[in-house]
Amino acid sequence: MSINTAVVLAAGEGKRLRPLTTNRPKPMLPAANRPVLEYVLDALVDAGIEDIHIVVGYRHERIQSHFGPTYRDRPLTYHEQDKQLGSGHALLAARDAISDDVLVVNGDEVVTAGIVDDVVDGHGANDACTLAVSEEEQAARFGAVRLDGETVVELVERPSEGTYRLFNVGVYAIDPSFLPLLETARGDAGELALTDGIAAVAERGDHVRGVRVDGLYSKVAYPWDLPALTVSLLASGRIDERETEPGVYVADSATVADSATLYGPVVVGEDALIEPGAVVGPDAAIGRNVTVESSAVVRRSVLDVGVRVGANATLVDSVAGEAVRIGVGAAAPGGMAEVRIGDRVHDERLGGVFADRAELGGGATVTPGVLVGPGAVVDPGVTLRRNVPEDAEVRG
Amino acid sequence: MCGIIGAVGHGADTLDVVLDGLETLEYRGYDSAGVALGGDTLRVEKRQGRLEALREALRGREFGSNPVGIGHTRWSTHGPPTDANAHPHVDEAGRVAVVHNGIIENYQRLRDDLEADGVTFTSDTDTEVVPHLIGRFLADGVDPETAFRRTVDRLEGSYALVATVAGDPRLFGTRQDSPLVLGVGDGAYYLASDVPAFLGRTRDVVYLDNGETVVVDANGWTVTGPEDDPVEKEVTTVSWSAEQTGKSGYEHFMIKEIHEQPDALRQGISGRFDDLAGRVTVEELEGMGTPSEVHFVACGTSYHAALYGVELFRQAGVPAGAFLASEYATGPAPVPTNGLVVGVTQSGETADTLAALREAAARGASTLAVTNVVGSTAARECDHALFIRSGPEIGVAATKTFSSQLTALNLLVESVTVSTADQTRELIDALRTVPDDIQQVLDETAAERVVEAFGDRESFFFIGRGVNYPVALEGALKFKEITYEHAEGFAAGELKHGPLALVTEETPVFAIVTGDDERARKTIGNVKEVEARGAPVVAVTDGESEVDRYADHVLDVPASHRRTAPVVANVQFQLVAYHTADRLGRSIDKPRNLAKSVTVE
Repeated sequence: MSINTAVVLAAGEGKRLRPLTTNRPKPMLPAANRPVLEYVLDALVDAGIEDIHIVVGYRHERIQSHFGPTYRDRPLTYHEQDKQLGSGHALLAARDAISDDVLVVNGDEVVTAGIVDDVVDGHGANDACTLAVSEEEQAARFGAVRLDGETVVELVERPSEGTYRLFNVGVYAIDPSFLPLLETARGDAGELALTDGIAAVAERGDHVRGVRVDGLYSKVAYPWDLPALTVSLLASGRIDERETEPGVYVADSATVADSATLYGPVVVGEDALIEPGAVVGPDAAIGRNVTVESSAVVRRSVLDVGVRVGANATLVDSVAGEAVRIGVGAAAPGGMAEVRIGDRVHDERLGGVFADRAELGGGATVTPGVLVGPGAVVDPGVTLRRNVPEDAEVRG
Repeated sequence: MCGIIGAVGHGADTLDVVLDGLETLEYRGYDSAGVALGGDTLRVEKRQGRLEALREALRGREFGSNPVGIGHTRWSTHGPPTDANAHPHVDEAGRVAVVHNGIIENYQRLRDDLEADGVTFTSDTDTEVVPHLIGRFLADGVDPETAFRRTVDRLEGSYALVATVAGDPRLFGTRQDSPLVLGVGDGAYYLASDVPAFLGRTRDVVYLDNGETVVVDANGWTVTGPEDDPVEKEVTTVSWSAEQTGKSGYEHFMIKEIHEQPDALRQGISGRFDDLAGRVTVEELEGMGTPSEVHFVACGTSYHAALYGVELFRQAGVPAGAFLASEYATGPAPVPTNGLVVGVTQSGETADTLAALREAAARGASTLAVTNVVGSTAARECDHALFIRSGPEIGVAATKTFSSQLTALNLLVESVTVSTADQTRELIDALRTVPDDIQQVLDETAAERVVEAFGDRESFFFIGRGVNYPVALEGALKFKEITYEHAEGFAAGELKHGPLALVTEETPVFAIVTGDDERARKTIGNVKEVEARGAPVVAVTDGESEVDRYADHVLDVPASHRRTAPVVANVQFQLVAYHTADRLGRSIDKPRNLAKSVTVE
């Protein structure tokens, strides 16, 4: 079936990505050097979608200011979801845009045009809904799916058991008849997920198709996903900046001192400055207007717009939001970490996570997996072992 | 000040193309609008009021296919906004239709001549002489192109004109001191007051110069000079995209443009530093030496930017002064040898500023335009042009372009005066940080809450000192422009010399205090003065001083370099004005009695 219109769900905050999402919605977090949402829109445009609708909500101005009314010459229409009451509720905010079959895509996951194409091609006139499924050992991290042939027989949003092999990629084609049913579907705890609607459609006996897809797919759910996603984006070459040597992407307006070293894969954004002796990469994304001072080391990390890394500082496996300041000689050495998100502890590879405008004093050291809130100030020399709340000051 | 558009090669879509163009031109004026569709016959429709009134009049009507169409959105200069005074204007035979932006200064004499010949005028406008003159030449058997040229030869003043003649599939255009650009599409062409009018259709543009005439039909275009001599024109591709002219989900252009500031400022400094050497490298300013003295000429918000530029030059040891362009044009200060006159004009078409720059040039001064519009009259007429790179601004109240102007003025002063590499590095660092600091203000502002507390008062004062004085003036201007409430900006120390008499419990005072130097401390003294009179005080501060102790409300800004702190602080005032106007339900993007670029003196 041919589909012309897509609805992108980008209203959610991303609570599990706090404190990085204090000032912006999850789809605007950086992966390599661009917001995650750009990769989603690229996939749609490359798959031939002409008309793109974006459901915005939490900190919507960040999305609107970044993208404006068109993306790669395709018109963008914004729909505001006042309260974030689930993905199904979000889709209903764009209901005016839906008169024919449409694609529905989550704004917080990188997908390829190939995946979008497969869903469009697989979606038939008799399907109420078609969704992309893929194999993944940890299907429990995502929504899990059970198929009978190409028919979806079970859909579980947050599976408790690890017995599922297929997961829901989050790319859907839906028939307009799906909407009235979605409106009456019941969700959990006042939230209405898209999958609640799909379950209701299947229950009524309408056909829900599952299309197996492969290709780069990555959902951004936790802070450690950002460096990991950056690694795979750099490896796949989905980078806008010019490739100056294999795997090394440098914007024309960036300045890299002769004695600085760029180890590919690495990307250096517009107007960034890499001072003499700095060593950047592999797997590092240096955002716009970032300064990496002399002899600093940045590896497997994502630095957003305006970050400044002081001389001799070290950042590994780390994420720095806008205008973060890393002091002279400070270090976030990275490695395997116990990361506390809410009341759960995860064992993941992660250095320091610095939310917008956090300041790490000179010589301070960050234990792997520590989250520093926006605007927080850590005094020089401190060894940071615990998460730091927004605007807090940690004294030495 | 008006907006004009012409379209060629759109057949049955001509009317839609013209109306779409008018919509993007509405910022140039919006008290009446009209269209004429050409071809074998001429159909004209025009209405007083916003474009919507014209759309309503045209709704449901069938016009078939038209080789050419022209349109106009008007801002009254001669005669009140009425249907009759709206453009296009036609001749008595209904063969010629003309749209015009500017003022024809000798129109009265031309009109007297025509009336003596028995021509009946139907409007009060200066423009109407143009179609009548063309019509008379046509009646004498002259071909349309020659009739247009001969008519233009008789005009004095400032004008951009586009004309069409029934039975002729061409458009004729010319300009003198008012803007007109040619858009080159694929089998379709456009003439317009500015680029966004056709940006959705082509990005290839030819900027016409004064005295040039352009003739366009579906097969192509030719440009000729004042003596009918062919002129080679360069087609340039603009990097702006149509997306930047839409509202992208925001309720108003103004708030959209406020939020665009971090990006606009990053664009403004992009590639303009040599970080490693600690130098500012602005291509447009290469080779300019240190002037002996600097005069700024500007109007409105740009004048406030000029005051800031004066402060920067003085700090760098160069004598400088700012002048209101309308005053300077008729009574200029003496220009010293090796002096530089800087015109600050967002559009590059501000008539008062152009007149002042021309006056300065005539007196031998070197001139520089600080403008947002490449290819604008100011940019082309001045010896040098510095582009602020803010992107199109549609809201009538200037926001992001003011911030971009302040940034550009820092680059200017740093480029043409002497400073050490360390000083320059410090400034570069500050300019790189400003976009992030503005983003922080946008993320964390309490402006909306402050407005809820004070927004219902009827008089508002803004005070500041040093580089913060222009920001106080700009804060008050923004406020009065869009809220229609009374607002005044004062140098903080000037309060006690008069304005303090106006301060009561009913007049909120917005004080801008950054840093903790002598200026800050003295401003705090002034805050205490108004506090003692019971006025509610809102302090915009970086928290370095103790002004918050005397303020009822605080609007925080991050601590910044002393030179760039005003750029950041001003954003709070933009937000205060916006939220107040929004609460009052004002027409924020198109405030009453105001237009975006003021192309008349």
